Amino acid sequence: MEEFIASTLRSSVPLALAGVGALFAVRAGIFHLGIEGLMLASAFTAVGVAHSTESIILAVLAALVVSAVLSTIYWFLLDHLHADAIIVGLGLTTLSVGGTAFFLDVIFGQRGRLDSPVGLPRPIRGADDGAASLVSELSILGWLTPLLVLASFMLLRRTAFGLRITAVGTYSYGARAAGIRESRVRLAAMLCTSVGSALAGVELALGGLSTFSEGITGGRGFIALAAALFGQLHPLATAAAAVFFGAANAIGVVTQVNSIDFVPRPFILMIPFIITIAAVTVSAIVRTQAQQRRMERLDAHEP
Amino acid sequence: MNQHLARLVARLAPVVIAFALAFALFVATGFSVGSVASGIVEGVLTGRGATTNTIRWSIPLILIGLGIAVSLRAGEFNIGAQGQFLVGSLAAIWVALRWDLPKAWLIFFAIVLAVVAGALWSAIAGVLKVYLGADEVITTLMLNFVAIQLVQWVATGPLRDPFSSGDAASTERLDPSLRVQGSGEYSLELILLTIAVIVAVWSLLERSRLGIAVQLIGANPKAAAWQGLSIRGTRLYTYLIAGGLAGLTGATEVFGPAGRVVTGSTPTLGFTALVVATVGSLAVVGTVTAGLFFGGLQAAILYLPIVSDLPPSALRIIEGLVALLITAQLATALRRRRSTASPLPDEAPEGQQPIEDGVQHVLSRRTQDEAG
Repeated sequence: MEEFIASTLRSSVPLALAGVGALFAVRAGIFHLGIEGLMLASAFTAVGVAHSTESIILAVLAALVVSAVLSTIYWFLLDHLHADAIIVGLGLTTLSVGGTAFFLDVIFGQRGRLDSPVGLPRPIRGADDGAASLVSELSILGWLTPLLVLASFMLLRRTAFGLRITAVGTYSYGARAAGIRESRVRLAAMLCTSVGSALAGVELALGGLSTFSEGITGGRGFIALAAALFGQLHPLATAAAAVFFGAANAIGVVTQVNSIDFVPRPFILMIPFIITIAAVTVSAIVRTQAQQRRMERLDAHEP
Repeated sequence: MNQHLARLVARLAPVVIAFALAFALFVATGFSVGSVASGIVEGVLTGRGATTNTIRWSIPLILIGLGIAVSLRAGEFNIGAQGQFLVGSLAAIWVALRWDLPKAWLIFFAIVLAVVAGALWSAIAGVLKVYLGADEVITTLMLNFVAIQLVQWVATGPLRDPFSSGDAASTERLDPSLRVQGSGEYSLELILLTIAVIVAVWSLLERSRLGIAVQLIGANPKAAAWQGLSIRGTRLYTYLIAGGLAGLTGATEVFGPAGRVVTGSTPTLGFTALVVATVGSLAVVGTVTAGLFFGGLQAAILYLPIVSDLPPSALRIIEGLVALLITAQLATALRRRRSTASPLPDEAPEGQQPIEDGVQHVLSRRTQDEAG
């Protein structure tokens, strides 16, 4: 059980980081399917830089920069060339899949994986018993995640900046009439998303095994987007959803470590994806019902 | 005619730019542009077995792409073709390996079962979307990952090839006498089947009630509902068609060039087919043309390592760049820059947008839905 909790916490860190990042884009009205690609590109950049410089700080900074540059391209294509968000997002992800494999081969002469000599520090590493053992595997990013979630909450719900993002996504025409410069707000929102995705990618690559392998994200970027939707676009609820999906992921980890094989392994690895489908469906039902109630209330007020 | 030409240029420009960017990257990383370019030409047309390979890859892309085009036309972002294809190929290989029937019946049942499996897999997302409102983009993507795990299970469990080696697990191979195409040869049957499907989809979209309904619903669901069309029914049909075609492709791959189902290293046909459908403007002729083009590209990229050391991931880079640019309205951006900046918003409020290009309209509708 302790193992399961520890594994859940670790699995949910990248999902929470990327999921809370996704909130900004989705609230600004962009269905961001590029998160998977941003995470992959950041993970690769971080490991590549760490491999060459052995500096963890440079690695994190480089990942942030790459993610921001890719997000700016995404924004430019959407806002200035009116491209379709979904196709561009999937294109960005494919470009990252190809680009990371390509550069892995061309720059480092490796196929499949690249190891990093350094990893993210773990503040209380080595505690073996009691409550501390649950979190001893958590990297520094894991410890920062709750703070980042809280900061996102304050940013989105308590500042003019956050309210502008939501306004742009909810009623674009009204936001423009109120004098909000939509394009800039969307850029800012996507840069916030890029930070979340980049940190999630860094955590995936350097938080545990300190290695990059092709396809390391394994659909987590898409699951993070689903977590944002399941969390009804609220930062705290999204973080909770990330922990929920993290638990689904932890089932796979724990059963593998203990070589429990009462069901074939592929079926266990399916669980996170099936749960995501269920979660998206449930949140759709909740949303429709809330809408219906609102309509009924409006009807009741009519004279 | 001039207008058609302009539209053609607008379609081709993003592809050309994407290629230029990819080439710039390859040159910057030390590949010689001449050897890559001549390698592509050889791989598509002139090299040994080049045309065969081009056709080999075009067939699945066209079959899956047509299904995706039908879906997108109805405004449904069914991007689960990869999963539907995998489930279809599992159904086909199961029938082929485990059923004991005369060859003709075996192939018949394998195809039917593959189509049904693909259609049902797609219908999961369809029902969740149409009746419960679950976002099909997420559900179809997730179903892809589930299908990948299913293949993993089948290839390492029930149908495992005990003699397979290397990283990728594989199912047993099909008996050669059952296959309609070995590697490196044509299959007339598959080409005829593809032509039949092209004609069928064309008449479905252009000459049938359902086709008109799909078009109308994609363009304006409210107006379509007022016309008395069943929105839910029509949308569900598009899921069945897209899934069925992807499932059929699973069968053609199993009985044709692949001959087995392999985990891991399968090229991601589903995504390439999505690019094919969008490059082809969701039209039948366009999708077929784009399918031939990307089929050739796939053949060339698989051929390239032989001549210039370019890693196979180069194909993903080109595809990704095309996908980034294909929906961008380059012309509009240029036009806007020339006209004086207007303080008025550049979009009319919802319901007043002029309908221009069919694809752009369908594709852009989603963001408005989300906003509204």
